Formats: sequence, C-alpha cells, structure tokens
Amino acid sequence: MTNTWYLYVFFAAALVCAGLLGLLGKRNLIKLFIAIEVIGKGISLLLLGTGFAKANILTAQALVITYIVIEVSLVATALALIINIYRHTKSLDIRNLAKLKG
Amino acid sequence: MIILFVVLPLIVAGILPLVGKVSRRVLPDLLANATLLGLLVYAAVAGRALIAGGPVLQQLSWLGEAVNLRLALDGFSLFMLLAIALVGLAASLFSIDYMEHYGAKANYYALYLVMIAGMNGLVLATDLFSVYVFLEVAAIASYALVAYGLSHDGLEAAFKYLMLSVVGSAFIVAAIAVVFGMTGSLDFAAAAAGLQELNAGPVLAIASAFFLLGFGLKAALVPFHAWLPDAHPSAPAPISAVLSGLLIKVSGVYAMTRIFLNIFGLTPALSTVLMGLGAISMVIAAFLALGQKDMKRMLAYSSISQVGYVVLGIGIGTPLGIAGGLFHLFNHALAKGLLFLTSGSVQQATGTRNLDEMGGLAKRMPVTAATNLVGALSIAGVPPLNGFWSKLLIIVALVQAGHPVFAVIAVLTSVLTLWYYLLMQRKAFFGKLNEKWAAVKEAPFWMTVATVLLALLCVGIGILFSTTVSTWIQPAADVLADGIHAVTGSWGF
Amino acid sequence: MILQTALLIGLVIFSVLALLLKDLLRSAISLALASLLLGIIFFRMNAPYAGVFEISVVAGLITVLFVLTIALTGKGEAIHESRLVNWVFPLVFVAFLVIDALVMKSLLGKVPALASGAESGSFGEVLWKARTIDLVGQIAVILAGVFAVLALFRKRDKND
Repeated sequence: MTNTWYLYVFFAAALVCAGLLGLLGKRNLIKLFIAIEVIGKGISLLLLGTGFAKANILTAQALVITYIVIEVSLVATALALIINIYRHTKSLDIRNLAKLKG
Repeated sequence: MIILFVVLPLIVAGILPLVGKVSRRVLPDLLANATLLGLLVYAAVAGRALIAGGPVLQQLSWLGEAVNLRLALDGFSLFMLLAIALVGLAASLFSIDYMEHYGAKANYYALYLVMIAGMNGLVLATDLFSVYVFLEVAAIASYALVAYGLSHDGLEAAFKYLMLSVVGSAFIVAAIAVVFGMTGSLDFAAAAAGLQELNAGPVLAIASAFFLLGFGLKAALVPFHAWLPDAHPSAPAPISAVLSGLLIKVSGVYAMTRIFLNIFGLTPALSTVLMGLGAISMVIAAFLALGQKDMKRMLAYSSISQVGYVVLGIGIGTPLGIAGGLFHLFNHALAKGLLFLTSGSVQQATGTRNLDEMGGLAKRMPVTAATNLVGALSIAGVPPLNGFWSKLLIIVALVQAGHPVFAVIAVLTSVLTLWYYLLMQRKAFFGKLNEKWAAVKEAPFWMTVATVLLALLCVGIGILFSTTVSTWIQPAADVLADGIHAVTGSWGF
Repeated sequence: MILQTALLIGLVIFSVLALLLKDLLRSAISLALASLLLGIIFFRMNAPYAGVFEISVVAGLITVLFVLTIALTGKGEAIHESRLVNWVFPLVFVAFLVIDALVMKSLLGKVPALASGAESGSFGEVLWKARTIDLVGQIAVILAGVFAVLALFRKRDKND
C-alpha cells in the first residue's frame, strides 16, 4: 500500500521540484510557462497516485479530469498574455519586463 | 435556491456576448448591474431568514435523480456573500462610466461576472476540491481583467500574478491530495471527522504548511506578497477595487480560515504562526506603503498591511478576536474598494497616479476628495468610522488573550497607517491647486454614485456598529469559533 | 511495477528535457512526449478516462497552443539563460532527488490513513453524481478561459 503511494509521490515531488527550479531560473516567458506545466503534471500525478494507492481511483480520476480542464483554460489565458507581451516588447526575455523584480 | 449565487452570474455572463452584439453599452451595463443588485438583495434580505434555523444545505436533484450538487450556507458564508455582493455592485456601478473607453464592455462584464460567480462558488463550496476549482475560476478571470487595458504594465503584472498564483494553487492541490490520502474523502464534514479520528499531528503539519504557502500567496501575506503591488495598481480601477477588496480575502483569507478553523481545528502552534504572519505583514507593508509615490501602489501595500490585521485577529482564535478579524475584513473590503475607486476617478481626471504631480484636487473634485477622506480615515481607524471599531475589537481581543506585545504593534501600525493616508490625502487633494489641473472636472455620475454609496456605508456602519456586529459579524464568528463542530455537527448529509 | 517505474522515469526525463532544451519547439515536443507517457501511466493505473484526457487534451491541444505561440512570437530569437543557473540547478535537482528518495518513504509510512471502503459504481456515476459541482466549476472555468482569450485578443477600435 505505502509502496505504491511512495512510487507516485516520489516522482510527483521530483516533477514539482524540477518545475519550481525552472520557474526560478529561466528567463524565456514560454520556458517559464513550460515550467508551470511541469508542476501541473506533478500535481495531477500526485492526485491520481493518491487515489490509486488508497483505492479511490474513480474519484481521483474525476478530479484529474477537472484539473486538466482548468489547465487548458489557464494555458490559453497565459499564452494569450505572452503573445500580447511579445507584441509590446518584441521580446520574450523576462529581463525586458522592467517591473518584474519583486 | 442558494445555487443561484453561482449559476445566475454564469448564465448572465454566457448571454452577455450575444447581448453585446445588439447593444454595445446600455444593455450590458443594465444586465450586469441588475444581476449584482439582485444577488445583493437576495443575500441581504432573504439570507438571514434562510439560515435562521441553522446552516442551509442544498442538495439538488437533476432530472429526477439526486446528484451531489452540494452547497452550504452558514453565517460565515452568508457574511462573505454579502461583502462580495456589496463591493461587487459598487465596482460594477463604477465601471459604467469608467470602462467606457476600454471597449468591449459586454466582454468585460462577462469576465467580471464569472469572477463573482467563482468567488460565490468558493464561499458556498462544501468540499475541498471544489474550493480549488472555484478559486481557479475567479483567478483565471482576474488574470484577464488585470490585463484588460492591454497596456504594457497591465500585461506584465498579469503575467507575474499568474505565475505566482499558479504556484500557490499547486501547493493548495498538493495539500488537498494529502488530506484526501489520509481520510479518503474531500467533503468538509467527512474530512474533518476523519482527521479528528486519525489524530495525525505531524502529517497535518505538512498539509497545513502547504495550505499556508498556497493561501498565503493568494492572500499576499508578507513573504509571499511580491505580486500584489504590481497586479493591483496596473488593473483598471474597479478591478483593483474588487481584487483588493474581495479576491484576496475570499481566495486567501476565507478559504484559509474555513479550512484551518473548521476542518483542521486551530492548534496553538497554528494560531501562533497565523498571528506571526499577520503581524509581519501588517508592519512591513505599512512601512513599504509609506515610501510610495504612486497612489494606487500605496493603496496596494496598505491592502497587504490590513489583511495582516485580519489574519492577526482571526489567528487569536478567541471568539472576540475572530469577530474583530471578520469585521475588519468587511470594513476593509468597503473602504479599500472605495479608495481604489476614488483613485480611479483621480487617474481618469488627471491621467496620473503620481502623488507628487497632484495637489489641490479637492477644489476641482470635492465629492471625490470627501469620499477619499472617509475611506482613508476608516482604514486608518479614526473614530467613529467603521475601521476604528474593528481595530478596537482586535486590540481588545489581543489584550484579553494575553498578547500585549501584539496589541502594541497593532496600535503603532495603526498610527503609521494614519500617517501615510494623511500624506496621501494632503498631497493629492489639499494644498495649492497645481496649474495643470485647472480644467479638471468632478467624476462622472455613476462613478460618483459608487464612491458615495461606499462612503455612506463606511460612515453608517461606524455609527451603527453594534447592530452590524450582532446581525452579520457575530453569526459568522460563531461558526468559526465553533471549530470543527461547525461542520461535523450539522453539515453531514 | 518495473514497467510503470520505467514510464515514470521517462516522464521525469522528458519533463526535465522540456526545461533544458534551448530550442523552444523541441522543448514543446518534449513536453508533449512527457504528457503522452503520463497518459499511458494513467491508463495503467485503471484510470482510462484521465489517460485519454491527458493524451488528447494535454499532449494534443495544449501542444498545439504552445507551437502556435512559438510560431507567433518567433522561435529563432536567442535568450541567454544564466550560466550559473545552468550549473547550479541540476545539482540542486539531483540533491532534491536524493533527499526525496531517502525521506519520502519514511514520511509516507508515518501518514495514518483511514481504511477506505472500496468504491462502488462506475466512473460515469462518480463523475456525474458524486462530483456534479465540479462540472459546474468546469463550465465556469471554460467560460473564464474563453472570455479571457476574447478580451486579450480584442481589436482596440475607436478610442485606442
């Protein structure tokens, strides 16, 4: 029981960590969003893996489908933002965004 | 039919683009504002009667079959619904004139109503995953609304906001997955009962940490606040008002307190962490606000600081502290909504947000100056305005609960708040009229209506504060003070 | 179990590649391959519907959106990623994997769990009856996404 859960949680954590590192280090806006997608994959794996290990696979499956639908909406919005930013600055470099400093 | 709070705005949002083809301005204005007015009347008039006999739970049937469309309305959610409807209506009245030159008004109102529906859904949700779903509905609509002007600043701020907000959501879902793994259930009542039965201290701490990170990002508490001072000022004024007045409170403070107090149960450690975070946000953001030259940026930092008060109050965990925190949440929603709206009036009239360039605007915009003063004094906590009473409640609760240090910090921060608000008022509205603004006129009709409405509410609640507290705040605070019994006892289906 | 582990390792490798590859188009394709593997993993976990969604929507639709964006914004443009980051971050990642491997198992062992009864009914019943509220949420989220895209790509006529 714990072993199956361990397998999925281990890899989910690895994906989330990779995504977070990408988010911190990358400068290209599209790359940043790919990092977000990687985090999203980790989270959906975590949800389904948890459901699978705890014999709640049907509920978990329903949750993952909702999660994917949300992801699509989010991707569409974010990419529309990126295209608009590119139209303004002619660049995808985050360093050209003056105010993105915190 | 409490599901109307979610479904009505969604339906109106769905038909608005079609309506927009027929009439570009008048019908969308009318339809959106009528919807919000309807929700406000419903919440204010019918709401209290609905929950008179305990929380209302609704399970709908769908084509004759019982489906699990569960919503619950108790004192806490009703209180939030009222706040959402009030500030939402004021900001939407303001939009009638303000959004005129942004174009595509039908589309704007559609997004706006989806955001309201998302917030209402979050407040009525009865299970953890729906909290996340509706949180994301409101968030996605708000990304587009922040960038609605399609200006460089707005787009940038929206992108940054999106990045940080998505990370916050990821942690929230991770925490939900942990709870789901432990209890095998997502329902508030079942999860609370399950956690109680398991008595899982250390693991619960991990879930709490994830929730704290996620909701801390959404509520912009201090270590996680980086996105707010960009996102809120860059948005169109009514959107800034809704984001600062409502969204950070609904998707941050409401969700966090509902989960921590009613599902996990407030442990002393959690209480200390919440109070610490609240106090840090309160102080640091107040100092940061002091140095701002941009009017809306100053207001944005002030929002972080005031949310700190709310979290500090709720974190005490005593009934009085919770009541004070919630009352302050409500007062801050009204007053900060008001201030962002007046800053929008000023920006539209003068074209600048820089406080140094303004001056003497009170002569040209007397109503805006007066309403701005009311909002500023209310947040700063000057008697007899509403903000004074809520801060007083929080401070008294701190002293009663034996945290005199926090009480002193709260008082000192409130002095600091008064200082930067007076600075803003003096630079923008008092003093000699800057030559440039000789031709400036008072804000258009609907914009003035919205600000005057909120200002009157600030004054009215200040005078009638004991009635407000006993009719609206106390039922909400009771639900929270009841801890996990509030959901395990009466929410089971 | 071994096949599943191999698939999971592949998923992580392709996801990391998506972050590391310099060419945006290649990293989008790498991300799509990661989604494909995730879809297969879902299939093997008795979640065929989630698998289909992952493959058709995430590996398909989202990749199309990514490629479209890359085409619209010009993929040839070179952005220098920071040197330091290129060296330090893989090290941090490997360190995290080691800690993850060492700690996670004992951590999960400590998680108490209620014995959950086996679920009954079919997937359709769970989705349509038990999680109906999520369907309302999905409609709302789709509306939000559609209006967001419409708003961001609207023509700024007249008063621009």
